[in-house]
Amino acid sequence: MSIVEVQELRKQYDPPKGVLAVDGVSFDIAGGEIFSLLGPNGAGKSTTISMLSCLLRPSGGDACVAGHSVVTEAQAVKEVIGVVPQDIALYPDMSARENLLFWGRMYGLSGEALKKRVDEILELITLVDRQKDRVEKFSGGMKRRVNIGVALLHKPKVLYLDEPTVGIDPQSRRSILDGILALRDQGMTILYTTHYMAEAQELSDRIGIVDHGRMIATGTHEELVKVVGEEARVTARVDHYLEGMAERWREVKGVEKVDLEEDEAVLVTQDPNEVLPRLFEAAAAAGARITEINVTEPNLEMVFLHLTGRALRE
Amino acid sequence: MTKILTIAWKDLRSTARNAPALAMMLLAPLALAALLGFAFGGGGGFDIAATEVAVANLDQGPTAVGESAGAAVAGILGSPGLKDVLSVQKKGDAAAARAAVDDGKDAVAVIIPADFSTVIYGGSPLAKTQVELYENPTQEIGGAIAEGVVGQALLEFNGARAAAAGALALRSQGDPPAAVLAKRAAQQFTHAGGVTAGLDISQRTPRLPGDQKTKDVSVTGAILAGMMVFFMFFGAANVARTILDEDRAGTLPRLFTTPTSYGVILGGKFASVFVTVMIQAVILLVAGRLIFSIDWGRLDAVVLLTLVAAGVASGLALLVISLTRTPAQAGAIGAGVYLVLALAGGNFTGTAQAGGTFGIVQKFTPNGWLLQGWDATMRGGGSADIRWQLLVPLGFAVAFFFVAVLRIRRRFA
Repeated sequence: MSIVEVQELRKQYDPPKGVLAVDGVSFDIAGGEIFSLLGPNGAGKSTTISMLSCLLRPSGGDACVAGHSVVTEAQAVKEVIGVVPQDIALYPDMSARENLLFWGRMYGLSGEALKKRVDEILELITLVDRQKDRVEKFSGGMKRRVNIGVALLHKPKVLYLDEPTVGIDPQSRRSILDGILALRDQGMTILYTTHYMAEAQELSDRIGIVDHGRMIATGTHEELVKVVGEEARVTARVDHYLEGMAERWREVKGVEKVDLEEDEAVLVTQDPNEVLPRLFEAAAAAGARITEINVTEPNLEMVFLHLTGRALRE
Repeated sequence: MTKILTIAWKDLRSTARNAPALAMMLLAPLALAALLGFAFGGGGGFDIAATEVAVANLDQGPTAVGESAGAAVAGILGSPGLKDVLSVQKKGDAAAARAAVDDGKDAVAVIIPADFSTVIYGGSPLAKTQVELYENPTQEIGGAIAEGVVGQALLEFNGARAAAAGALALRSQGDPPAAVLAKRAAQQFTHAGGVTAGLDISQRTPRLPGDQKTKDVSVTGAILAGMMVFFMFFGAANVARTILDEDRAGTLPRLFTTPTSYGVILGGKFASVFVTVMIQAVILLVAGRLIFSIDWGRLDAVVLLTLVAAGVASGLALLVISLTRTPAQAGAIGAGVYLVLALAGGNFTGTAQAGGTFGIVQKFTPNGWLLQGWDATMRGGGSADIRWQLLVPLGFAVAFFFVAVLRIRRRFA
């Protein structure tokens, strides 16, 4: 059963001529599910989350969270959601504990219940030892953990995480991702936005791919990958003569498509094992030497490339 | 209510940890008041505008024996040499002259009696009359100038009368030589002119608020009152700017995602601004008392004026914030607004009772009214005596607050 139902959500800034940031996005999230919005920067992910958080009023459409409309029942929606914003939204001159106590009160907690919950969150984000230190003294990863902890204080039914791993070290990222999976296992519903394909792939039960404010595909990882069939992607660099090599590789048997991206050629093939020797042979015949070659099995980035004609990182 | 207090307490702690802001809020006004107070000698008052004087010349002269003495006094008051310090308006009768002072249009009324010329030129050395000076007691310098000018004119008339009387007395004893007569007249002019004055000044004051005995206001007190109100505006702006700081830092949008209403969040912000400037004012009042021995006046009036001043400062700060988008904008525009208000309201001139155009302009500023209130309070007025000086700024505060809340809600909703 869906706990989040988004219907034709639309947001235009400064209408009628302003930017159309979200253009008729629809999706559902089932209870206890991690749903990721995957897309490049500027795709409309954060605007979508802002509307679902009742921070921005939609220009059109609506969304129901736990049965409450974000348009007409904002207060009720805010009771059941926890929001982890993309940027650290904490008070740097307050300690981790003071921050949690403050935000807990904003979520309506008080007294012993608040203190107990703050202790639990400090345990969860493994900052018990540093709870009295000011947040401004924390590393990026520690701040991220407090940032997430704040959103969990009132045990929300739905947790929104807006690119929570941007700009942090791999160890902290791993810790956060593990924490999110643990929350899902406890039954929490999670809406996660990212432009990291690997994160979406690892975390998500289902994924929605967004671009230019539109939802261009939704489904499980497996379902989405099927969109591009069984094609693999080969990227190759040569010591010189790249454009000429790209032309020659287009003629190689088994190569379905060749594009040039900056200083490398991107080839699409059904069977990379069969094609790779031919690529080397063609290069040698042309007097060029392959300096780097990578094979990528079908993944979300390829899905995005397939659907938009652009790489996800653009 | 708990959430409002939580937000206010969080902001207060943040302000308390901001040393530069505290220095600006507390040390700057004290330092400025001390410097200016010492520069002006620490006592008495001063003014910058020409004193408005209402002159009612009721003198029936000229008489058969001389010109109109009343016209002469009025002429002296309105002479070109005094135009920089006295601005004379002629009134038809005494009541109109007094009403001009009562209404605050003029600082002093000079009422020349109907028998003025008769007494001077009548020949009777026993005849007496009085020129009435009806003064606004809060405009000390203006009153003193008018009193000095009128007093000097009366001294001249008294001296002349004494000289004439002396000469007449000598003449009755025989027919002394002209030189002896002149010497005698001069002696009489010098020694008896002021003492046996038939012409005198009668000083009256309008019924001051509460009809209390007025006290002198020290320069330092007047300046610190001006600086306190001025820096309360800045103090409030500094705290209110956290709204924009928090908007940029993301904590304000995050607050809006919690089940806390916009009204509660803004109420918490207003409370923090209000309490901060209240604390600032109390510290400055106590410091002014302890360091400069300023007698701020009766407790009820001081408390109410401080509360209203804090309300005005908070409302204005929120209004400025609602009109700007970034902390830098708020700083620049706010500073401009506060400086213009301070200049127009009289914060820098150390006087609360200015006449003329300046006095009119002052009434369009909340700080002008507040300064009038502080001036009256330091002179001994109570809360009932400064009701308009409380109600008008309170009106400003309420208007500022509601416009600010409407704009802020619209922006963040």
